[in-house]
Amino acid sequence: MQIHPPPSPLPSKGGGDEELPGARPSQRRGEELRPSKGATDEVKACCAALYQNDYVRLLLGDSFHPGGEALTRELGQAIGLTAAGHVLDVASGRGTSAFVLAGAFGCRVTGLDYGRQNVAEANARAHPLCEFREGDAEQLPFEDATFDAVISECAFCTFPSKADAAREMFRVLKPGGRLGLTDMTIAAQKLPPGLDNLLSVVACIGDARPAAEYRRILGEAGFERFVERDESKHLLRLIDDIRRKIDLARFASAIKKLDLGGIDLQAARETALLAKQAIENGAAGYVMLTAVKPA
Amino acid sequence: MQKVDRPDVFFELTRSMCPECRKIIDAQIRLRDNQVIMRKRCPDHGWFEALIYSDAQLYTSSLKYNKPGTIPLEFSTEIVDGCPHDCGLCPEHQQHTCLGIIEVNSACNFACPVCFSEAGPGFNLSLEDVERILDRFVATEGNPEVVQFSGGEPSIHPDIIPMLRMAFDKGIKYVMLNTNGRRIAQDDAFLAELAEVRPVIYFQFDGFEERTTWTIRREKDLLAEKMRALDRLAGIGLDVVLVPTLERGINLHEIGAIVKLGVRHPAVKGINIQPMFHAGRHIAADPLQRLTVPDVLKAIEEQCDGMFLVSDFVPVPCCFPTCNSVTYAWVDGDTVLPMTRFVEVDDYLDYITNRSVPDLSGEIKKALEGLWSATAVPGTDGVSTKFSLACSACNLPSLDVADMKDHIFMLMITDFMDPYTFNVKNLMKCCKEFLLPDGRQIPFCAYNNVGYREQVREQLAARGSRRGATAAATDL
Repeated sequence: MQIHPPPSPLPSKGGGDEELPGARPSQRRGEELRPSKGATDEVKACCAALYQNDYVRLLLGDSFHPGGEALTRELGQAIGLTAAGHVLDVASGRGTSAFVLAGAFGCRVTGLDYGRQNVAEANARAHPLCEFREGDAEQLPFEDATFDAVISECAFCTFPSKADAAREMFRVLKPGGRLGLTDMTIAAQKLPPGLDNLLSVVACIGDARPAAEYRRILGEAGFERFVERDESKHLLRLIDDIRRKIDLARFASAIKKLDLGGIDLQAARETALLAKQAIENGAAGYVMLTAVKPA
Repeated sequence: MQKVDRPDVFFELTRSMCPECRKIIDAQIRLRDNQVIMRKRCPDHGWFEALIYSDAQLYTSSLKYNKPGTIPLEFSTEIVDGCPHDCGLCPEHQQHTCLGIIEVNSACNFACPVCFSEAGPGFNLSLEDVERILDRFVATEGNPEVVQFSGGEPSIHPDIIPMLRMAFDKGIKYVMLNTNGRRIAQDDAFLAELAEVRPVIYFQFDGFEERTTWTIRREKDLLAEKMRALDRLAGIGLDVVLVPTLERGINLHEIGAIVKLGVRHPAVKGINIQPMFHAGRHIAADPLQRLTVPDVLKAIEEQCDGMFLVSDFVPVPCCFPTCNSVTYAWVDGDTVLPMTRFVEVDDYLDYITNRSVPDLSGEIKKALEGLWSATAVPGTDGVSTKFSLACSACNLPSLDVADMKDHIFMLMITDFMDPYTFNVKNLMKCCKEFLLPDGRQIPFCAYNNVGYREQVREQLAARGSRRGATAAATDL
């Protein structure tokens, strides 16, 4: 599935390419949704439909990835990246994290993404330390023991076969290599009622699991020495950003600068508030998980 | 025996006053059960405790909105005895005068049991007094933006219309008349003059119930008169800010209805809610049960069906941030969209947190600072322009200011201090000053608590009786 950068939903003063000033500088539109080949048809169809709607682009386009670049750098620190390392970013999107890590640590980064256009756009940046390849997270196109580190951000939860993905990441790591994930979690197998709709799907909680289950799956693939860090505050911030955009859209519509085409903003707003409650009471969250492939 | 911990957090030490003798004494600010309590001891009258903010978390988090003050062009007094005895403004005052208030008389056509200015017979300023005051205001401020005529009841001053006109003539952009509205409801000729001079009306409105108006104003059938005045103001197209005095057990339960009236009435462009404070003539109350800003915010959230939430409000940075909170909303019929829900006002008005948000626009910051200040006068082009500008933070296309004007609504809470809650720290950054004929500008809460009001009133009354000039005016 390919995700195209959504066009600017509202006419902007200086042309369509400006960032929304209210957005975190780290988050660029359309960057952070990184589905893998394994995403179910259902999710694919849903995402595609959503992304065909300008209005959803307005709401979600530039604020997909909790924590943004800052959390990517923290992830790099947590797995001890150095200039000598070679990193694989699984589901690398349009390459933002790869560029951030290469810039911050001086390491080589290979990005893998299922989206052909994402890969093309990332390669077009021609970063001297970064290269991008098309491929499937559950069948990594790399030799055994190729990388010093593997990361994957807000993507593991979307892989239908998490066990396959875990085994593959383990396989391509060198002995002693480090794994770093950031991802959505939910406290139980099931989402709180009211969240199994639009917002939950686009915010990648579709197949999120409790952190303990991620550890179990990764442990069965061979990983050891898990360190888990709660990063739910970034998710709250993301929900706030979404809610703010919903309110902006209501305002834009009220002053007749935006045609909502019958979309129920009030319902979207209530979903956002539900999501916030779910995070606050621990039903959903965001976690950074690091582990090591035994030497 | 076990040592035990104190029941609260010692947050800071400041100075306050003894509510009995008004002596300036040290005061502790303590955080207890998520409330902010002032605790102090007078050597002669013992210990006192008062609630100053009912949400400790909100209190401490609002401190980041403390904007560096602006120095006026001239000070009017020297430092001799130290704050709060050298007003003002003395060179140690931390803010210039955003809002100048002129009390033109002491008489009133109401006889409220609650009145911080202790209205009653006393003095009338002359037009020459007002001219001197305005000239001094221009000298200290350069381009003063807002002046408010108050009293007593300023509308019964025989020269109030020429005074309002004079303020406009001196180049002051926004001229406000603070009134109980009685003369507006009753006097056609006065209304016609207001329609020409066009001040913004700062309109006392405490609620709908007879019990409320009786308790606060000793008036029974006030609602019909108030509504008549509001409708007449709408008829001549003047902008109104409703000013409810709010108190627990009296009219706190009416705030939702007041807000809804404000949102719907064509004349009303804003509301400035003032928790009852116990200076001047007042009703006895338990200082630990005082109504504070967070209580008002919560009452608004509970009573307005989601129109406004506690989280919609942001402290006002120009004065001390715990003194006022305000929000602005775009309003059309029953659609109410608070701006703070889609503009990240926080990012622009945080003066302390070291945050690296590189793309904050200076223009938007200035617009927001203008809205979040005591100089903002709802209903004016200034507020609409700043609102529109602030919306450009969201990349909205440029908005037509003229179209916006009638849709922008301000909701502010202003908590004035009384001898129980008096805090020299807040006072030093006050930006609402009484402008006096002798050229002094005295911060609102110093004037009402420290003894300045009594002193000035005595001087002005003595002068009046010497001249005999005010005899005619007090007949009203």
